[in-house]
Amino acid sequence: MIFLAMTWLAPFAASIVALSTIPPLVALYFLRLRRTRRVISSTMLWKRATQDLRANAPFQRLRFSLLLLLQLLALALLAFAIAQPQIEMGDSQAKRIVFLIDRSGSMNVNDAPGDRSRLEEAKQLAENRVRALNSGGIFSGSAPSVMVIAFAKDAQILCPFTDNAAQAIAVIKAIEPTDESTTLSDSFELARAFSTVTNPDKQSTVAADAPSYELFSDGRIADLSRSVLRGGEQILFHNIGKSTTANAGIGAVAVSRNPDRPDEVQIYARVVNWGSDIFSGDLEVVVDDRLRAVTPKPVEVPPAQEDKTIGIRVPGEIQVVFPSMTLPKGGLVEVRFAKHDALLADDRAIVVAAPPEALKVALVGRGAFVMRSILEGMSLKSLETFSLSEWNDRLKKDPMAPDSFDVIVLDDAMPDDLARGRYLIFHATPINAGISPYGTKNNATAQSIRDEHPLLQYVNLNDIFVSSMTAVAAGGDADVIVESSEGPMILTLNRGALTFVYVTFDPMESDWPFQRGFVNFFANSISWLAAGGSAVADEPLAPGDVAKARLPLGAKEVSMLIPNGTAMPIAVQDPSNISYGPLRTSGFYRMSWTVPNGQSGPTSKAYAVNMNSRIEGRADAAAEVKFATERVAGIQGGASVETSAWPWLLLSAVAVLFLEWWVWLRRV
Amino acid sequence: MNPILKVDDLLDSRLMARLDRLDVISRKIFAGKIQGERRSRRRGQSVEFADFRNYSHGDDLRFVDWNIYARLDRLFLKLFLEEEDLSMVIALDMSMSMNGGNPNKFDYARRLAMALGYIGLVNNNRVSLFGFGSERIERLTSMRGRRRTREMGRWLLDRTPEGIGGFTDGMRTIALGGQGRGVLIVLSDFLFPDGYEKGLNYVAGRGFDVFALQLLAPEEMDPARHGLAGDLRLIDSETNKETEVTASTAVLTQYRKSLEAYVAGLRDFSVRRSITHQVVETSLDMDTLLLDYLRRRGLLA
Repeated sequence: MIFLAMTWLAPFAASIVALSTIPPLVALYFLRLRRTRRVISSTMLWKRATQDLRANAPFQRLRFSLLLLLQLLALALLAFAIAQPQIEMGDSQAKRIVFLIDRSGSMNVNDAPGDRSRLEEAKQLAENRVRALNSGGIFSGSAPSVMVIAFAKDAQILCPFTDNAAQAIAVIKAIEPTDESTTLSDSFELARAFSTVTNPDKQSTVAADAPSYELFSDGRIADLSRSVLRGGEQILFHNIGKSTTANAGIGAVAVSRNPDRPDEVQIYARVVNWGSDIFSGDLEVVVDDRLRAVTPKPVEVPPAQEDKTIGIRVPGEIQVVFPSMTLPKGGLVEVRFAKHDALLADDRAIVVAAPPEALKVALVGRGAFVMRSILEGMSLKSLETFSLSEWNDRLKKDPMAPDSFDVIVLDDAMPDDLARGRYLIFHATPINAGISPYGTKNNATAQSIRDEHPLLQYVNLNDIFVSSMTAVAAGGDADVIVESSEGPMILTLNRGALTFVYVTFDPMESDWPFQRGFVNFFANSISWLAAGGSAVADEPLAPGDVAKARLPLGAKEVSMLIPNGTAMPIAVQDPSNISYGPLRTSGFYRMSWTVPNGQSGPTSKAYAVNMNSRIEGRADAAAEVKFATERVAGIQGGASVETSAWPWLLLSAVAVLFLEWWVWLRRV
Repeated sequence: MNPILKVDDLLDSRLMARLDRLDVISRKIFAGKIQGERRSRRRGQSVEFADFRNYSHGDDLRFVDWNIYARLDRLFLKLFLEEEDLSMVIALDMSMSMNGGNPNKFDYARRLAMALGYIGLVNNNRVSLFGFGSERIERLTSMRGRRRTREMGRWLLDRTPEGIGGFTDGMRTIALGGQGRGVLIVLSDFLFPDGYEKGLNYVAGRGFDVFALQLLAPEEMDPARHGLAGDLRLIDSETNKETEVTASTAVLTQYRKSLEAYVAGLRDFSVRRSITHQVVETSLDMDTLLLDYLRRRGLLA
């Protein structure tokens, strides 16, 4: 949607000037006109001629005259100048304008003019727009109110509607880059919330004039199809970045220990190519700042392809498996490109490899052979088995019993108390967790699978068949990992003291135990739960995620070391449930704390935050944004074409006046 | 064209010599008071036979055809074409409207009058000059013979344009002036505020063979080509009234249409009254006018 190419800051003033000057000028023209006196034999024929002409053309007096033409031209230029036209590619007449500035990871691509990042360009354009909207002189109309929203994974109002251009510019300048993914719908919701006024007397909500949006983005926005412009809303898309920029990145990285040789780790990486050409480059593995491996030859990633059946662009991907290497203590493992490309943030991925830890695991319930075998195959410190009644008895004696195990596996069993502990639950519905069973469903298959979740690392659920499962409705704090057409199949819940992974069906009533993925899922779940549920030590976070931790009781002086080297203090209310974030930029974070004297245990926890190149790594800027109901074409360099034209018009008017004067002198 | 300061400026000797060979012809044979060099339809005593008629008492017996009497025994009288003189009247418009144009229309008219008058005098015609203007009629009548040439020239030299129109009065005076039958040559631009119709009606049908020579200056024929452009305040030379005109293309086109309509109207009016009308642009060379233009149009031979 392109608006008019030119706006008038003071059209009313220009109309008054035009109406009050042009008619008098025409009148003066006839009064002032200097006619050449000529004596002729007889004016008889001339009178006849002019009389005939008047009879045939009532407006013949307004015939061509160079002087009048020049005077009218000068006046018209003057009137246009007073109207203060703003030449630009797009503009809105809205009284309120919402600036939506994309600060997602893809906006860090350095393809803007002057080798600047897209975010710098967007900020500059937005700043210019604010200045232009407030650049009227004494004849200008009122400038619109401006709201500034920066958005990436979530939206943040930096400045509510204001007429203060300096304030708007200040907050625009202060926008910091992130490596987060891009969602826009939150921005619309926030803007609409601020655009709605409520009449306190009538207690009815009355929408004010719909705001006009100005979107400064590269157009790579994940949730465009869920965004709908409402009636009266208009949007101007300032297209930032080049459509030809290619990028490749590391989509995921994982480190797994060899169950048989815990000192050894296997490192996996997935390289994603969004470019139209084959990507070729070397990958390096750096452990604790020491180069440990390089790919023997450059990896070649196929180009991205347009999938015409679903109408989206699919990146080229390859999996890279590095040779096993010894890592007896754990450490900071970084996989990176030997050579950087357009987007730096996804050229490396970090993972914190935890030291080999011997876990204490309890198996409660029927203790199916398959599960017991898997657990026994893991290098655990201890494995204890309980029947449900035995476990309930133990809970009665010691309510803190769950804390003596790293993970408790509930095999089709649900204890009387599920208040604390970390559980891997099969089939039995958790109690007091906001999960409501409403029946049994048969013949289910997985429909929606969150492949990127650490629980599903190397787990293929596409072919799983479940003959019977419990249909449940999950509460708002549950995180559904796998969903079938009949409801959630695997979900997680993390409530600080209580964390569990819930599989809504009995694996024995499916073909899953016969697949290798079941073993991996079991191992992933044990590791994930043992690490605290969310901030898994060896699984990276995505930009925008929140770092969570369970610290020992009495932990103090908690702080977070962020990638730029600054230690940020964290106020602690409950050491068992610490949150920090969102972690907006990728890199390495470390939470540190102190423990009371005489108490042992870890005093820090590492977090790796990696930009997901599969979502944000697409660096070719979009020429248009496709909302659910309409498309909006982008304009390039919007601010550069927004120029005040009145000085030029004024200059032209003066020049025309001089020309008119010269012509008049020559005639007289 | 040189200004007219003396008689010789009106008609130079070179042109005068060439005009000696010309004569004014009339489509009518007119009776003169004295015997002239011109054949008349009135039978007379010339040597050219015209007709017979029965003898009546008192007829001159010298004209009886005795041969007929011998054959038929009846008296018949031989009738001969009588040679008469031609009355040539030149009417000169002396209104202020003639005092314009380049060449000046009045000067041109005086030169033309001088030339035509000279032709008349040379051919022993009875030449009369009338000048008409605002409430004045000036005349020089009944000249005959080459020796009156300088007198005619001096008269023309003394005439000056003045006042408005006077055409109707002038023509009425000529028609009633007893000049006899003959050729009347009117030299005027015919741009009369009160019209030319009444004036021409006076002289049409009075026995005159009328030639209306309409003298128009080049500026009047095509104003655009002769510097009349732009925003103008035109002043009528006769009335001094002003007319504001912007000589746009449309106005100039309309002017040309008006002029053509005016000239066509005069021509139609003249044709219906057996008056010969000719437009003469004053840029036309006098030699060409007399030796070619007017000869081809039947005034001179």
